[in-house]
Parts: sequence; C-alpha cells; structure tokens
Amino acid sequence: MYSEKSGIFKYYFDEWSLNTNVGTFAWLLHRLTGAILALYLFAHILVVSSSLWGPDTFNLWLKSVQTPLTHFLEIFLVAVVAFHLLNGLRITITDFSFATKSHKSYFWVEIFVFALIMIITLTVFLPRVFSSH
Amino acid sequence: MNEKPSFLTAYSWFLQRITGVLLAIFLFIHIDTIHFTKEFFIDFNRVTQRLSSSGWWVVFYIIFIPVVLFHSLNGVWGIVEDYRPMPGLGKGIKAFLWVLGVCATFYGFVAITKFL
Repeated sequence: MYSEKSGIFKYYFDEWSLNTNVGTFAWLLHRLTGAILALYLFAHILVVSSSLWGPDTFNLWLKSVQTPLTHFLEIFLVAVVAFHLLNGLRITITDFSFATKSHKSYFWVEIFVFALIMIITLTVFLPRVFSSH
Repeated sequence: MNEKPSFLTAYSWFLQRITGVLLAIFLFIHIDTIHFTKEFFIDFNRVTQRLSSSGWWVVFYIIFIPVVLFHSLNGVWGIVEDYRPMPGLGKGIKAFLWVLGVCATFYGFVAITKFL
C-alpha cells in the first residue's frame, strides 16, 4: 500500500516486485501509457486549435509537426495507443464477463493483436520517415 | 470517511470502462481515416474537405472530444488517488481537472467550427 514516507515510485516498484506476473506488468504499462496519452492529448488539442488563428497559422503548425522525425515518433504513438486500447479492452472484458481467472491468457491474446497492429503500422509509417514530405 | 460518495465518484469506474469502449471505436475511425491513408500530409484544406463532406463528422467530434477528455482526466484522477491526497487537496485537484476538461471541450468545439 502507498504511504507518504516511501513515495509513489517505491509504491509502484513494490507492487511490481511483490507481484511479478503479467497482470502487474500490464497494470504498470497501462498507467504509463495512459499518462503519456493524457499529455499528448493536450499537445494535440493545442496544435489543432491553431485553426482559431486562420488557415495559414494552422498549416504552419501542421507543417512543423509533420517531419520525418515526427513520423518516426508516430510509430511509438501508435504503439502507446494500441497497447492502452487493447489492454483497456482486456480489463473491460475481464470485468464484465466475470473472467478474472482468464486475464493472463487474455493478455497474451492482446500481445498477439498488438504485434499484428505494429507490423501493419511499421509497413505504413516507415516509408514516411524516408519520404520527401 | 462515512461520507456518501457522489454519483460520479461511485460510477467513475463504470464510466471509465464505457468511455473506454467508445474510445476504442472512435480512435480506430479517427486514426484510420487520418493516418492510415495514402495521402498522409494534413493541411487546412484536407481537414475542411473531410469535415464538410458529411454532417456525421461534426457529430463524431462533438461526441469524441468530451468522451476522450473525460476518459483522460478521469484516468489522471485515478493516478492522483494512488497518492491518497488530503481531502482538501483532492477536492482542489478534482475541481481543477473538471474545469480543465470543460474548458478544453469548448475550446475543441470552437476549433472545429473554423473548418466548417
């Protein structure tokens, strides 16, 4: 249990070290990917809302976030979204179908689907990294 | 300690799952339409064309924006609760997250009108 003395990082570490199974690993990654996506969401809103200052400003902002480097980073963004989404569905299915005992096997199904999504993502996004746009 | 939780506190767990399932559908459509296309470079004209092509896109974003913000900020609140904040601080953070979410929702709605 979390206590102010030990701090949040020790709490997370203890949770992990005391329960070294896929469930704890998935819980930690779900938290981490969720925090990354919450930060990204507000950056995304900021960039898209540049439309408030007209088409030229919007195009300028969009151009600055569509570079080979950002296309490369988009691969990680898709990975973060895909993991959080699939793991969230696993949690929901486990909760609503009262299948708590099967959550570990569901995790490996999730990893399989995640791997498929990442293969498709790499084939679509990698050429963009080397494109002239 | 024995204070009766509000409706949203009691059902935040349930709402997080409902909004999560909705987001799985919305995010799939959003990412597939915008990022998994041959013409991947996004500019003002392309967004205007898409949003003007069907009223459904406007309805889509009117639902998508508050749902994604609720799910996101409710998730942040879940992480804050791990710290077991003092009641006063907890209420302050919760109020801040609500104001942030409502403001960002309306900001997003206004931003969309610029493409119509």
